[in-house]
Amino acid sequence: MRYVKIKGDKIYEFLERLKNYGKLYAPVKISEKFYDRKEIDDVGEIAFDYQRTIMPAKKYFIPPCEEMFEIDMEENEYREKLEEVEPFVIFGMHACEIVALRILDGVYLNEYPDIYYERRRKAGIIIGLSCLPDEYCFCNLRRTDFVDIGFDLFLHELPDGYLARVGSPKGHKIVDENPDIFEEVRQEDIDAFRAFEEKRQEMFKFKGSFDNIRYILELTMQDKLWDEESEKCLGCGNCTMTCPTCRCYDVQDIPEIGGKKGKRIRFWDSCQFRSHGLVAGGHNFRETKRDRFLNRYICKNSYFYPLGTSYCVGCGNCTYFCPANIDFQENLMKIRGREVIHE
Amino acid sequence: MNNMNNMNNVYSLYKCRVLRVYDLTEEEKLFLFRFEDAEIAETWTFTPGQFVQLTITGLGEVPISICSSPMRRGFFELCIKKAGRVTDKIHELQPGDVVGVRGPYGNGFPVQEFEEKDLLLIACGIGMAPLRSVFMYAIDNRWKFGNITVINSAKTGKRLLFRKELEAMRDVAEAENIRIIQTVTRDPDWPGRVGRAQEHIKYANTSPENAYVCVCGPPQAYHDIFTKLIENGYNPRNIYVTLERRMKCGVGKCGHCIAGSSTFLKYICIDGPVFGYYDIISTPGLI
Repeated sequence: MRYVKIKGDKIYEFLERLKNYGKLYAPVKISEKFYDRKEIDDVGEIAFDYQRTIMPAKKYFIPPCEEMFEIDMEENEYREKLEEVEPFVIFGMHACEIVALRILDGVYLNEYPDIYYERRRKAGIIIGLSCLPDEYCFCNLRRTDFVDIGFDLFLHELPDGYLARVGSPKGHKIVDENPDIFEEVRQEDIDAFRAFEEKRQEMFKFKGSFDNIRYILELTMQDKLWDEESEKCLGCGNCTMTCPTCRCYDVQDIPEIGGKKGKRIRFWDSCQFRSHGLVAGGHNFRETKRDRFLNRYICKNSYFYPLGTSYCVGCGNCTYFCPANIDFQENLMKIRGREVIHE
Repeated sequence: MNNMNNMNNVYSLYKCRVLRVYDLTEEEKLFLFRFEDAEIAETWTFTPGQFVQLTITGLGEVPISICSSPMRRGFFELCIKKAGRVTDKIHELQPGDVVGVRGPYGNGFPVQEFEEKDLLLIACGIGMAPLRSVFMYAIDNRWKFGNITVINSAKTGKRLLFRKELEAMRDVAEAENIRIIQTVTRDPDWPGRVGRAQEHIKYANTSPENAYVCVCGPPQAYHDIFTKLIENGYNPRNIYVTLERRMKCGVGKCGHCIAGSSTFLKYICIDGPVFGYYDIISTPGLI
């Protein structure tokens, strides 16, 4: 892998240059407590120390709502609606979110590639950024705390700048075209990188191996914990909307007033909604709130074969944004048996 | 729905024309479709057990199992139950009307594996629709299969799907070593066999140790059928079922058909809808 360094005083110039490669999106503070990713005009606004954004980066690849087809009711036709996708740069993605994108790739670019997703994915440049965990983070247990691929550049914080890993041809291009921004990595940078990684590992709330959770979860589906916890759930779907790997969508045909035209749209859906498991004739495969609640735990903890990780990347968003204070990580720990994890 | 569309887009539709509409029961109709585009008509094929996504313009899309044999190129049949907003509208279709179709999707039954073996098909209610595709395929390839039995069950005689079709072929069928058993559970006026499908397994002409079994019915029917099959000596490894969900995409994305447990999470639309007996019993939530 190619490593370069960005000196601290050049970081804003670097961000400014990123705009040459496409629309720049980065996290900004939007209220006392929350951050969200937005299109950046003034790079001074960018928050480097953000923990999580309200909406995960999936919104740039799978918009909350998009038109797939334009319907011509008179001609009985569905005309593909593919809008121009302009290049864009997402700055500041954490390791877990980059893995999450690769999970979405596995689903959306399987043997039936989704052209809407694919076009956006090709247009996007991913600049990763190192982070330190808070009490909601458990990416280390998910083995998503460090990424090898899936980014163009990945910036690791150093006391006097950033150590950047170059992860793709697009990343090489950015480095090559901006020689005044980058410099060589020196021994003290490597030492600082190592120290940062060590400190980071120590900060995780839980340590150890977590893969057996899927089996234990499967064996404890009758546990009363699920009754108690699902009782608290409001069924709002916040957990799935803020989840970087939740990808369920619903499709609807909306005719325009006048009835000559219409559109086929798709929009984010949630397994926490009652309508999600309904089939024709009224049977519901997830009839009760408990069924729906447990479904998310099952789905998130199941194995995503292509990456060898679970669908959950351990970002903590679902817990952080839950209005009913349901703690996903804590519930898994209870089911898993906390005592075997070295705290 | 036309050639202007990008066929690299998995969600693009093919235009299909309704050729015939048959009333099957009060709730179910059978539709015969033909592809408008000659090239697609010639190349489009499927495996029994697969399904298509059918669009009524401006109203929406529904997943429907194909119920005809893939041996008839360019044509396919769908048996559709009136069960909701879109299917209500489908029931109003007349010959000549045009709909949008994409697919086929799903794994289908492993019919190649069934060759040389006996075949037992067990259907409850609307379950006859996907199994008819297997049955028709087996008839079209009669010499490839051993004895065949179809057990078709419903609440009442009037609700037996393809009742007349199966009745009409019964005599010829016996000569061909094909046994047709139609049974109802709650119909005092029904002159034929009564009882649930599983109670008639013992009358099948298939030899348990040499047969493949396909089952389709409502989720609550499966366990009793499995028990009876195993009691009668059928090999669990040779039992297949086909499942139903409300697929929105059909291509493993939208998540509506995700089912299973944390060690076996499946998209029914691409990993199924056909699953083996052992998948079912090791996966809570599949049925």
